[in-house]
Amino acid sequence: MLSVTLPPDTLRADKDAARHGYACEAVTRRDGLRELCARLKDQGYFLECLTALDFSDAFELVYVFSRTESASRFLTKVVLPKPDASGPGVGDIFPAARWYEREVYDFFGIRFDPHPNLKRLILPETPRIHPLLKSFKGSAVGADAEEVLSAIHEDRAAFDLLNPRTPKNDADSYELNLGPQHPATHGVMRIIARITGERVLSTECTIGYGHRNHEKMAEIQDYRAFWPNLGRLDYVGAMAYNFTYAELIERAMGIEAPARAQTIRVLLTELNRIASHLLWLATFLLDLGAFTPYFYCFDDREKILDITELCTGERLTYNFFRFGGVAHDIPEKRIQNMISDFIPAFRQKLKDYRTLIGKNIIFRKRTQGIGVLSKETALAYGVTGPSLRASGVCRDDRRVTPYSIYPRLDFEIPVRSEGDSYARYLVRMDEMAQSLRIVEQIYRNLPPGEILLPKVPKTVPRGEYYFSTESARGSFGIYLASDGSPTPYRLKLRTPSFSNISAFSELGRECFIADLISIFGSFDAIVSEIDR
Amino acid sequence: MEVSPPDPGTQSPPVLPLELFRLEEAVDFCRSSSLWPLTFGLACCAIEMIGLGASRFDIERYGYGVFRASPRQADLMIVAGTVSRKMAPCIKTLYDQMAAPKYVVAYGGCAIAGGPFKFPGQYGILEGIDKIIPVNVYIPGCPPRPEALLAGLLKLRDLIRQGKADGRMSPAAIKDFSNRQNPVYKDAISRDAFRNAAA
Repeated sequence: MLSVTLPPDTLRADKDAARHGYACEAVTRRDGLRELCARLKDQGYFLECLTALDFSDAFELVYVFSRTESASRFLTKVVLPKPDASGPGVGDIFPAARWYEREVYDFFGIRFDPHPNLKRLILPETPRIHPLLKSFKGSAVGADAEEVLSAIHEDRAAFDLLNPRTPKNDADSYELNLGPQHPATHGVMRIIARITGERVLSTECTIGYGHRNHEKMAEIQDYRAFWPNLGRLDYVGAMAYNFTYAELIERAMGIEAPARAQTIRVLLTELNRIASHLLWLATFLLDLGAFTPYFYCFDDREKILDITELCTGERLTYNFFRFGGVAHDIPEKRIQNMISDFIPAFRQKLKDYRTLIGKNIIFRKRTQGIGVLSKETALAYGVTGPSLRASGVCRDDRRVTPYSIYPRLDFEIPVRSEGDSYARYLVRMDEMAQSLRIVEQIYRNLPPGEILLPKVPKTVPRGEYYFSTESARGSFGIYLASDGSPTPYRLKLRTPSFSNISAFSELGRECFIADLISIFGSFDAIVSEIDR
Repeated sequence: MEVSPPDPGTQSPPVLPLELFRLEEAVDFCRSSSLWPLTFGLACCAIEMIGLGASRFDIERYGYGVFRASPRQADLMIVAGTVSRKMAPCIKTLYDQMAAPKYVVAYGGCAIAGGPFKFPGQYGILEGIDKIIPVNVYIPGCPPRPEALLAGLLKLRDLIRQGKADGRMSPAAIKDFSNRQNPVYKDAISRDAFRNAAA
């Protein structure tokens, strides 16, 4: 239970935590928010997510706070009457809020004060639209070739205006541009580094090159129709993202998937986690100049993809889960044979990787002591997942919010305290071993029975819900505001890489250019998931 | 000795002792056998493109594995993934920077026409890369398997060898999707109406 003395506001603690995903909800006055944030920070809370709701008479800012050791989630709201809505900036208390506030400004047009750098985060500068406003009824751009071309010219002009071709150089330092097309940014992302000689002074990330309307698409189609989007949100570890949506909606509807479906979900999610970490390992080492692990890791990854493909029919963008179960049963015998071949072979391969990579002196020199992320900084930016656990915080959603069959499984949460790139590497290597342990425990004894509930409601009861599960990159949460109709009123995707990369500007200073690449790679960012 | 000019009506053209390539054909043959793709991934499809470069599918068998990070060194652009509004100007720049002859493969539904992210009135993506740059080969799928990309590249190879892909194609015809229905956008409701069913 929350023990801060709140400003004279309403605090409701009557929420059903299992159903809504949070226990406490408060409405805070605009002036009281900064004080509340400071108190929450003292109590060990971190800002998990920030978004807005657009009503006809007012905006509501929704702040989700969470703690490291328990699932006690605290949700507070600030009501901003229209028009001229302007919110209180809390970026100096929780640096994580800076990017979230820019995103809210981008999508809703709500200004924040104070904010050091309030400009658009995801959309380009020119279409002067705020797409998640309910008054936005679609734009015409994109359908007509002429319009597209003229829009592109406009975008280009705006881009040049903001990012002059001749950077602000002086005698001591100059600007180096990486991306958006750059082999080390793993997708399309732009890093502008101010450097002097070989040394990086500061970096700034520009994101939004992979924005794909996910959150708007959630609002215009029914709950089931959003499934394919979740497979494409993070295409490397898509299963965990489906898992969150399934759990969130099932909890909200008050239904529960059958035991067999739950086990299949966990089995595939853990296999997918290994595949995701393998892809990270391959590309991370590619960034560092090691080519051989790429072939080894992809070889193992293909074996996992064979298994998941046999179960789901897809290699990457899985769309296999349903509300109340999974789409169809898996060919149990063949899967068991494949997995029993895979486990000992992969265990040996993990050992080989540790020797080949972990003991390599070049790799160690390039990662040990590089990109040290302290525990405090990590929490301040809302970093989650392996990157947080490499900084000495043992937080894993599979433990803090027990869901599905995870509480019954025997596995450990690997934690390192160094916080450098090497620690992040070690945590992921250990996680692969742990995921393998989970797979080993369940693949032989899948419970018999149904895989899908015969009858599932079409709507979600009126209310607000938040739920997060552990993906390969960190805590993936969905905030859902439902008005009881067949489509969501607002669906916010809290993606882990977004917060993880917002901490990158903190690390990308006082290091070498080559280390910039190694630090960025060690965070395992998927750009489509940052940009949504 | 006096040589009279051949009479075009009665004589066949002189037959060379050897059947030789035309120079263009020889160049096209060489060119089609070592396309250098631009290292350039946009979204999901890029992962399958990386997969094609790895051990199981091994694009190197066909000589297409020399992924170059600089557009100046590449002659094949594989547009793998969703093209966002913000990214479109950058892709145009990259294409302009590539040296001709240059070829473009639209890999996956998004690069072809917007894929699953296309709906009437969408604001964030470009509905098909062929709206801004010419495309030689389209590979459908979401995402297509690596084998499909391989098949597409071999198709491009054949087109180049037949002289049908000259790398300077005019923009492809723009497809008309105007018959699609508009989605139902929600109106903002008041806070009371949102919280209370009766209101």
